[in-house]
Amino acid sequence: MADTPTLSLEQLRGDLATFLANPYPTYSEMRDQSPVQMEFIPGGIVPGLDEPIKAWALMKYNDVYSALRDHDTFSSARNPFVEKGFFPQLVLIMDDPPRHTRFRRLVNKAFTLRRVESLEPWITSVANELLDEVGSEETDIVQSYTIPLPVRVIARLMGIPGDDFTTFKRWSDTFISSLISIPLEERMQNTMEMAEYFGKIAAARRTQGAEDLITALVEAEIDGESLQDWEILGFCILLLIAGNETTTNLVGNMLNILIDRPELWQRLREDRNLVEPVIEETLRYESPVQQLQRTTTRDVTISGVTIPANDLVAVFFGAANRDPQEFPNAEEFRLDCDLRNHVSFGAGIHYCLGAPLARAEAKITLNAFLDRFPIIEHGRTPALRQTQSPVVFGFERLPLVLRAKGH
Amino acid sequence: MRLVIDYKKCLKSGQCSYLHSELITAGADGTPRVIIEQIEEHLRDAAEDAVDLCPSGAIALREDVEK
Repeated sequence: MADTPTLSLEQLRGDLATFLANPYPTYSEMRDQSPVQMEFIPGGIVPGLDEPIKAWALMKYNDVYSALRDHDTFSSARNPFVEKGFFPQLVLIMDDPPRHTRFRRLVNKAFTLRRVESLEPWITSVANELLDEVGSEETDIVQSYTIPLPVRVIARLMGIPGDDFTTFKRWSDTFISSLISIPLEERMQNTMEMAEYFGKIAAARRTQGAEDLITALVEAEIDGESLQDWEILGFCILLLIAGNETTTNLVGNMLNILIDRPELWQRLREDRNLVEPVIEETLRYESPVQQLQRTTTRDVTISGVTIPANDLVAVFFGAANRDPQEFPNAEEFRLDCDLRNHVSFGAGIHYCLGAPLARAEAKITLNAFLDRFPIIEHGRTPALRQTQSPVVFGFERLPLVLRAKGH
Repeated sequence: MRLVIDYKKCLKSGQCSYLHSELITAGADGTPRVIIEQIEEHLRDAAEDAVDLCPSGAIALREDVEK
């Protein structure tokens, strides 16, 4: 098997940035050949990582769905970036059962649909506060709205005091920014600061509880067992990573799709029953998370190709969501089909814990925009897709002109 | 009490069959199926947790209706 052909994404699209800004043409070229081994991280891009890291790309819907549901064969705990010391081992998304099961049981309660519904009034007030500050001039909605909304929601959920909010934002930014742009030492320093900070908050909540997630975590118990400090820290870090940029991208992608469809905007203003379908179709059409990785625990045959044990597998949600075998007219944004089968939140045991919260933030945003703005348009400054991370899909900059009533 | 799944709402996230395999199982395509419909007192907490953890709000505990 030494001669397995290896595809490089640069070969297909010219360069990595072009691929990251729009991976969909590449998916449609590669899907039929998948699983195919590709250069996942080319050598020499990440400081200290000279050899390329290869991964098997899964791009067909059925392959992606099966792999996500087969957590025994496709392990989340084993990760080459963690093993090489480039990334801390995250709780939950880098756990397998039985540790995953115990942890998920504990934290599920903080993120139930019912709890999220009870948070909707204050999420709505945060959304409106942010929009009050957006004038009728051109605004980069990424800076003025899509970044601050989820950061504020998560900070408040966790119980971060208002004064510490700026620091929290800086930690969050450093932690989630690409491996490429921030040196390892700075990331480590950042993680240490964060550990100390959350350690103090956890200790304070043990003495006196509050109405927040960290209190829920220090008090959470299953079979008489509670979480240790490092687990609480790990979960806080996970929330920064998984809870912020993903929602930023969902909301940005959704607004961009709607700017380009003014007729749909008018229909939405008249019929709010379309709000949830628009969110689900946005998730399918431009998945905020494009792919996550697994490592095989045994030889496994997928679409006729045998992937050996201990190999890295890149599971492409973004490609699965445009597979014409599963979604007729997959390359079009449509509301007239079954909108439930996308895998943007994953499937199986790792199904996104924050899915109800992400959906709520998108719904509140869309309703608030529809209430306020009869027309939304692109700004004069061109929009810019992010081209740093191979994992997410969204905007670095999205200039909008929002025309309020009476303007 | 009866444990029921609303298949119009179900998004096949797989959380119910993962965390409450004593009550719910999932088929090969991910579709969940209730294996213990009549919820006796000793399963009440587990069933309520299954209702609570469904991210799409598709699981419910219903009062029995005599036919």
